[in-house]
Amino acid sequence: MKKRVIITIGRQFGSGGRVIGQRLAKDLGIAYYDKELLAEAAKESGISDEFFEKADERTNNSLAYVLSMGFPSMGFYTPHSEMLSPESLFLFQSEAIQKIADKGNSCVLVGRCADYVLRDYPDLLSFFIHNKPENRIQTIVERQQISKEAALDLMKKTDKSRAAYYKYYTDKEWGMSSSYHFSINVSLLGLDDTVELIKTIIHKNIFVQEATPA
Amino acid sequence: MSTSPSPLVLGTEPIGKLLAQYALPAIIAMTASSLYNMVDSIFIGHGVGHLAIAGLAITHPLMNLAAAFGSLVGVGASTLVSVKLGQKDYKSANRVLGNVLTLNIILGIAFSLLCFPFLDTVLYFFGASEQTIPYARDFMHVILTGNVVTHMYLGLNAIIRSAGNPKMAMYTTLLSVGINIVLAPIFIFAFKWGIKGAAWATVIAQTIPLIMQIVHLMNPNRVVSFRKGIFRLKGDLVRGILSIGMSPFLMNVCSCLVVILINRGLKQYDGDIAIGAYGIINRIIFLYLMIVMGLNQGMQPIAGYNYGAKRFERVSAVTRITILWAVGITVFGAITSELFPHFIVGWFTTDTELVDKSVYGLRIVFAAFPLVGFQMVVSTFFLSIGKPKIAIFLSVTRQMLFLVPFLIILPHFFQILGVWISLPVSDFIAFAFAAIMFIRIKRSFSKQHIP
Repeated sequence: MKKRVIITIGRQFGSGGRVIGQRLAKDLGIAYYDKELLAEAAKESGISDEFFEKADERTNNSLAYVLSMGFPSMGFYTPHSEMLSPESLFLFQSEAIQKIADKGNSCVLVGRCADYVLRDYPDLLSFFIHNKPENRIQTIVERQQISKEAALDLMKKTDKSRAAYYKYYTDKEWGMSSSYHFSINVSLLGLDDTVELIKTIIHKNIFVQEATPA
Repeated sequence: MSTSPSPLVLGTEPIGKLLAQYALPAIIAMTASSLYNMVDSIFIGHGVGHLAIAGLAITHPLMNLAAAFGSLVGVGASTLVSVKLGQKDYKSANRVLGNVLTLNIILGIAFSLLCFPFLDTVLYFFGASEQTIPYARDFMHVILTGNVVTHMYLGLNAIIRSAGNPKMAMYTTLLSVGINIVLAPIFIFAFKWGIKGAAWATVIAQTIPLIMQIVHLMNPNRVVSFRKGIFRLKGDLVRGILSIGMSPFLMNVCSCLVVILINRGLKQYDGDIAIGAYGIINRIIFLYLMIVMGLNQGMQPIAGYNYGAKRFERVSAVTRITILWAVGITVFGAITSELFPHFIVGWFTTDTELVDKSVYGLRIVFAAFPLVGFQMVVSTFFLSIGKPKIAIFLSVTRQMLFLVPFLIILPHFFQILGVWISLPVSDFIAFAFAAIMFIRIKRSFSKQHIP
């Protein structure tokens, strides 16, 4: 590839978004970051990755957390004043994502609002991957070795927390097509052809720089 | 934030240096705001009289309630602005600014409009009597008139601070204190405006910095500044701001309820002058507590970061140093209050009855004060290491959980002594809880894993 491209992938839980990201990275021979982002954030900030994992793609809306915000400092709150608050960890993670983008190499980034964090990079291509619920449940059942009911439950919960997380930090709707450049339902073409489709999009460079999502 | 220096220094620089760097500005800002209140009381005590001190003390919970509404907006605002600026999302940060201003204006005016018609009823409920209500009423009339200014001033200050201008925020705070210290004696002693003079000084002392803030924010070259279209309330944003601010709001409301309980107890068992005495004592306690809070604010990022980096020896070191300083401050407060109570109270009043009651109360209330420094640092320690539940519990133990039942039960047996003694007894039990929690977590530290 001549031109550098940053591919971000938002994905429903169990939609196949991660596999698509991995295949893309492999086929294009570029770096892939999913959970690896957490390790990068830990390395950059010096804070142990356990804390990033605990806060990963979740907003903390437990009562205790809400009650503790800005307490007891009463109005002198900044995210980094509580180093381990979700906001602070998110900022560290965002800085790590920007560092990766600033390296100048092409890469695939999955989740963690990377599309928002890198929204001002002209070579960004953002995708949202979704799928039919039946397919997703099937995937979750196979991957996690759990019952269909448990998979449905886990799917709903994870989607909900990802949506809240995205909304909290980006002010945009998770999974809404206008939040991304492209939104693709995998069930239409299947995994393989979806990967090919995305590759075509990248190669044909149909991406217009001005068309950044609102 | 990419603008702030790398957090990595928190893991390498000497602890003492870091603590000084982080805590000193906070201590200055906190002390300034408590001096502000102290100065008001001192001028009123000397210029208006001992009943006015009681009248002023009765208004404290109402002032706290107004401040509670201020923090409801301010805390959420500063959090959201910081998050948005960290992402260089200036458009959203500006929208927060506009929405905060609108919210503050609405809340500020609504609070005044709701309070005015019921002011006497509220003040009587708060412990006013025929003798003290004229002072309380006069004071609150002026304060409520300027309430919207107070709300706007505090809200904008919170935003300017988080928008990367902490110095500007500090200067406006200091300016406000300065204006109050200059104007209050002029209005009280030269113009003979009585307690209203103190209130006007307070309002004007916030109006001038507010104008400065507005001028500051009118500059379109600033990252966060007034723009067209940012003032219309946006549902999501308002919800976000209010939900973040809910905690400080509730804490303020509760502490205001506790003060009402204390004032009513004092009035019932000892009369108006005892309320005045508590007003004076409260100002003195507040001065020390604010310094400890400043220390805590400095400790928070250092302890939090090093805990996150699993450098437990540095977490222990910063906690130990902060505890030493905090206890030093509260011990100093306790010793001076026990040994020289007449001297301290003499700053506020020369009335013998008020002096006697204040000295009596001061000696009791400060009995367990050395423990409070430790207790507060431990509570913040749990907050910094990401255990907000324990932090809240510890803080609530001292200010409410044990205090309220004691305030209700003890006076039945010991009358006025029972009211006063509730405070140190509650401090002591809260200290015991904090010590137990702290020892338990220290043990898990030595096992070197995240507890």
